[in-house]
Parts: sequence; structure tokens; C-alpha cells
Amino acid sequence: MSSVMISVHGLSRHFGDLVAVDDVSFEAQAGAIFGLLGPNGAGKSTTINCISGLLKPTSGRIAVAGHDVRRDATAAKQSLGVVPQELAIYEDLPAIENLRFWGRAYGLSGAELDARVDDVLGTIGLGDRARELPKKFSGGMKRRLNFGCGIVHAPPVMLLDEPTVGVDPQSRERLFDLVRAERDRGTCVLYTTHYMEEAEKLCDSLAIIDHGKMVAAGSMDELRAQLGARDVLQLNGEFPGAAADRAVSALAERIGEGLEVISSSESELTLTLNGASQMLPAIFEALASAGAVVNETSLRSPNLETLFLLLTGKELRE
Amino acid sequence: MAFFFSAMKKDLARWRQDALSLLLWLAIPLLIGGLIMSFTSGGDGPKPRGLLLIDDRDDTFLSRFMAGAYSQGVLGELLTVENVEAEEGAMRIEAGEASGYLVIPEGFQDALLDNRPVTLELKTNPSQTILPGIITDVTEVLLDAGFYAEQLLGDEIRKIRETGENNLVNDAFVASISVSIQNKIESAAPLLFPPVIEVTVAEPPAEEGPGVPFAVYFIPGIVLMTLIFVANGLAVDYWKEREQGTLRRLASSPKHLIGVVAGKTAAATVVLTVMGFIVLALGFLYQGVPLSRMPSALAWIALSGIAMFAWLGFIQMLMSSLSAAELITNITLMPLMMIGGSFFPLAILPGWLAEVGRRTPNGFMVDRLTSEIVAQGSWAIDPVSWLILALLALSGMVLSAWRLRAGFARG
Repeated sequence: MSSVMISVHGLSRHFGDLVAVDDVSFEAQAGAIFGLLGPNGAGKSTTINCISGLLKPTSGRIAVAGHDVRRDATAAKQSLGVVPQELAIYEDLPAIENLRFWGRAYGLSGAELDARVDDVLGTIGLGDRARELPKKFSGGMKRRLNFGCGIVHAPPVMLLDEPTVGVDPQSRERLFDLVRAERDRGTCVLYTTHYMEEAEKLCDSLAIIDHGKMVAAGSMDELRAQLGARDVLQLNGEFPGAAADRAVSALAERIGEGLEVISSSESELTLTLNGASQMLPAIFEALASAGAVVNETSLRSPNLETLFLLLTGKELRE
Repeated sequence: MAFFFSAMKKDLARWRQDALSLLLWLAIPLLIGGLIMSFTSGGDGPKPRGLLLIDDRDDTFLSRFMAGAYSQGVLGELLTVENVEAEEGAMRIEAGEASGYLVIPEGFQDALLDNRPVTLELKTNPSQTILPGIITDVTEVLLDAGFYAEQLLGDEIRKIRETGENNLVNDAFVASISVSIQNKIESAAPLLFPPVIEVTVAEPPAEEGPGVPFAVYFIPGIVLMTLIFVANGLAVDYWKEREQGTLRRLASSPKHLIGVVAGKTAAATVVLTVMGFIVLALGFLYQGVPLSRMPSALAWIALSGIAMFAWLGFIQMLMSSLSAAELITNITLMPLMMIGGSFFPLAILPGWLAEVGRRTPNGFMVDRLTSEIVAQGSWAIDPVSWLILALLALSGMVLSAWRLRAGFARG
């Protein structure tokens, strides 16, 4: 159950002077959901486009189901099921004909095609609307059909590029169920998102990417271990240069090695430390004595968001 | 191969959903072509006929001759002459039932022969313009002719009248009158013949062929106009597919993008051929063109459709947006249709303009289709033209596939 289905080594992609993806490497296994987490513009879609063969990498090597995507492109593409971020279905073609067309695009025909189309229609819950035009469907139904078109040929590898952008919560849950079902079937799923909650909820392992660089990778447990039990404390207020330095020195003296400053400015100070909730009175006292004014306090438990903050010094949604 | 048919079937099914556009693309050229045909050729429908009511109160040889003159030759195609009594004639012209009402008064013949004044009364229908004008002009010409005839042959005519009244007509009289008339005509002949104006009848262009109605020359232009509208409308589908993300999805599938181009082109060819067939069949049936020329003309139309769709698709894919693509092709196609024989047959354009028109892609197609339709037999287009058109179609398809691969498909 641990065969590597997607292998990316030293992937870089430049657009002129812009380095969209910079030396990214990871592996995704069969029967698991691998997440690519990062803010908008981090390089997730470029990575996916290189894997799906839409873009040629500037350098690096990519293999899908053991097939090099450049030298053995047809076999690599045959192993892929792509579910793009935007809908990519024919709204003026009945749902069943959409599935048939995409099935044929991946080489299915005859009884095998019929069986797969019936199966997928049941899976995505559109069996009773199969002959209707998608332009009459709700947004959630169109999303499900979009997903169905990507799995109709039962691919061993799936690429889902932010499939829940603009999707209502109910449809999102339905989509998660479909993704998990594919994972349980043994499919390797590469799932990109900028929603931390989604990645935590869905992914078995993931890579965090920012400005084209991979800043962390591993299973969810491994990534949580990187955080330890440290909380993230974000303080907003007035921290004039000298006052902030004095406050941080005072805090470090009082708290010791567990304290780490993630970012600081004249209006914001972000710290990470163990057991922050117990330390709040001491922190406020130290800051007040240093001349800083705290207007707002935010305390967060360890999660991917805080890991991203820890690694990049900024919020995931920035 | 299965994917090719699948892609073709998919596009045909999608385009069928937009049947209204297809009908409009068909109707507009038919409408434009029909209007231009009727403006330029006057149409081939029945000519208008007028009714001339004549109240011949003289009832003599000359009055009957004059009344009969209105129904002779070309006038006979325009006018129906009906003899009426005074009351009926006045009533019907008042009711607007006739184009004109002519009263030939009693004593008309005597007055004409005696060179005395005489008044004819002509009432015309004010609600009509052309036919009453013709009647007026013809009446004036007839009276002028009567005056000159009296000047030239007055003596002979008077002798005929007197001899007839006295019932003295015999063979000798007829012979002497004939000789007298013959002599007068011969003496006038140097003044009448040869005519001062020499008319030279131009030979029709060799390509027109014998016995082909002029309106037939409009058919190829209307067919090509239909092909251009339909091909341009269908070629927009590349942009539509790009905007709905399906082209991008296809680009990540294992199928080669030439299969996408081939499938879409095949679907477009089916639509274009059906459209071309409808226009061609209407033209053939209306103008009586032998249906034996249909297969070869249809084959040319199908290949023209492929070339047009492929090139318009390629050109549209070069543009930066869907609206730019539509704008560029629309403003390019209009002048091409103007000089390429779609609005006016190449045969009636000035020579240099027709030559330019024949060198445009659509003009080339119109020109060869014209020769196919008006030729004596079918399959009249030369093999080189077929080869040129096939290369045009193939190059358009290859360039479309190249453009898809070169980045258009992935957006």
C-alpha cells in the first residue's frame, strides 16, 4: 500500500524572470491523499500543470504511475484523472454524454464505457438526472459532474486543483466524501488547497509551499510534531521600536527558551511559546512595563495555520 | 479513430442545441441574396400587366389599326386591350380598374386622311405610374406615325378608302396601289437604311454557357455567404471551449489535439454541407439547374467548408480574446464577401475587380463553384483547383492543431 504514484524531483518552472516553482520535490502514495497547501500564487497550480503535462518544467523530473511525463507523456496522462479548479464540462451536452465523451477521451469504449458511466453516475448522485443538460443543474451538481468526468476512466492517480473554491458547505462535504471514496479505492489523490481546514481534514500527508518553494512536507503527524505544544500568540497594539525590543527582552528573561518571536512591527507582535494561556498575565505585565500598549490578543492552538506562520512569518490567507 | 467520431458527435449534439443560430446563419444569406437578385435582375417573376380600355367610336380601318397596335409585340406582354362602351369605360377608369381609357372619336380616320385636327381623349389611372406612362407615350408615337404615314402614303390610303367605299376593288387596283407604295418606300429607303446607329451584340462570356439564366450566377455567391457565416459562427467554438475549460482538460488527456481539431472540423463539415445543400437545392429548383450537377457542386462546397472553418478557427485562435476574434473576422469577411462574388456575381464586376476577387479565398471558391454550376456537364472544376482547395483545408487544420498545442488550449 505504499507504492509511489507521483514522484516529483527538483521541479522548477520559470516564466521569464519569475520563478513560479523552485526546486520542489515530493512523493505521493497510492491509497492516500497528498495535499499541496499554500496561499494563492504560491505555485500549487503551476506544479499541478507540470504534472498533468500542460506545462513543461524548466528543470526537474516528474513521474506519474512510473511514467515520465515528458518522455512517456501519453502513458502518464492515461494514468491521470484531472479535476480542474474551474468547471470543465459541456453544459450544452447531457450529463451522461459528458461522461461518455471524457471516457472515450481516455480510451474507454463499448460495454466497459457503459459500465463505468453507470457506476460514476451512481457515485456522484446524478443517476436520475443523467439525460438532462448540466446548464439546468445547481452549482453543486455541476461540481459533482466535473468530478465524475475526472474519475470516469478509473485513474490510479487524481489531480484536484482547489476543487472547492466557491462551493457551498454542503456540496463541499459531498465532494470530500467522493475524494475519500477514491482514496479508499486505492487511488493516489493530489489535492491542492489554500484552506488549512480542508488540508487538515482530508489529507494523509502534505507539502506546504510558498513563493514556489516547499517549506515543509510530511504526514500530518510529522508536521504536528514540528509544532510541538507551542501556541501562537498574536498581539495587536502599539509597539514602538525600542519598547518592543525591551518587551521581548523582558519576556525572554521571564519565560526562558520556550519563547520565539515570529514577527514584530510597530503595530503587531507575534510570538510562539509553550502554555501561552498560563503565561498571559506575565506577558501583559512585561509589555506594559516596557511601554507597549496591547489592544487585541489572539491565542491559537497548534495547527497547520500556525505551522505556516511559524515557517513563513505570515498568515496563510495573506 | 473512436475519439474522432466521439468528438464529432459531441459537437454536433452541442450545436444542435443552438438551432436558432444555425437557422439565422442560413436565413441571412438567403435574405440578402434574394434582395440583391431582385434589385439587380428585377426578378424572374411575372411582369405586371396593365388594362387599356378603348372606346372606338370611329370603327374604321385606321381606328381599328390603332387599337390593335397596343396589343402587338412587347406591348402585348404589358397591356391587355379591351373594347368598351363609353359608359362602362368611364365607370371602370373611375373605379381604378384599368391603367387607361382611350376614346377614339367618330371621324378619326377621315380627319387623319384629310389632314384635319382631331382630338383623342385618354384618361389614365393616377394610382399607377409606369403603365399609364407607357400608354401615353405609345399613343403619341402612334399619332406621330399616323401623321408621317399620311404624308408619305396619303394618296394611296385615300384611294383605298374611296375604292372600298365604291366597292370597286379589283386585281388591277391592288396591283397598281402595291406598285405605288413600293416605289415610295424605295425612294425613301436611302433615308431610312442603313440605320444611323449600328448595334453590336457583345458575345456573352464563354464561362456563362448557353441558356443559363442570369440569376443562376447569384447562387454560388449566396452559397459561399452561407458557408462564411456558418463557418465563422462555428469557429468561435474553439474560444467557447477554452473559456469553459474543456480545451484545457482535453489538453491534459492522452489524446492528441489534432483529434480535437479533426472531430470539430468534421462536425462543422456536416453542418456546412447540409446548409450548403439547402441553399444550393433552393437555387437549383428555383432556377431550373439540372440536379445532375448537385454531387460535384456539393463536394466542392464540403471541401470549401472545411477550408473556411479551419482557417477561420486558426485566425480566431490567434486573437487575444473572444470579442477580438469575432471583431477581426467580421470586419475582414465583409469586404472579402463584397469583392469575392457573394453580393454581386464576379461576372458583373469590373474586370480588374473580378480578377482581384477571384484571387481571394472565397472568390476562388465562388468562381469554381460558378463554373461547376453553369458548365455543360458535372465535375467541371479542374484537378488543380481541387488540389489547391484540399491543401488550403489541410494547412488550416494543421495550423489550428499547432495553435491549440502552442498554448491556446491551456489558456
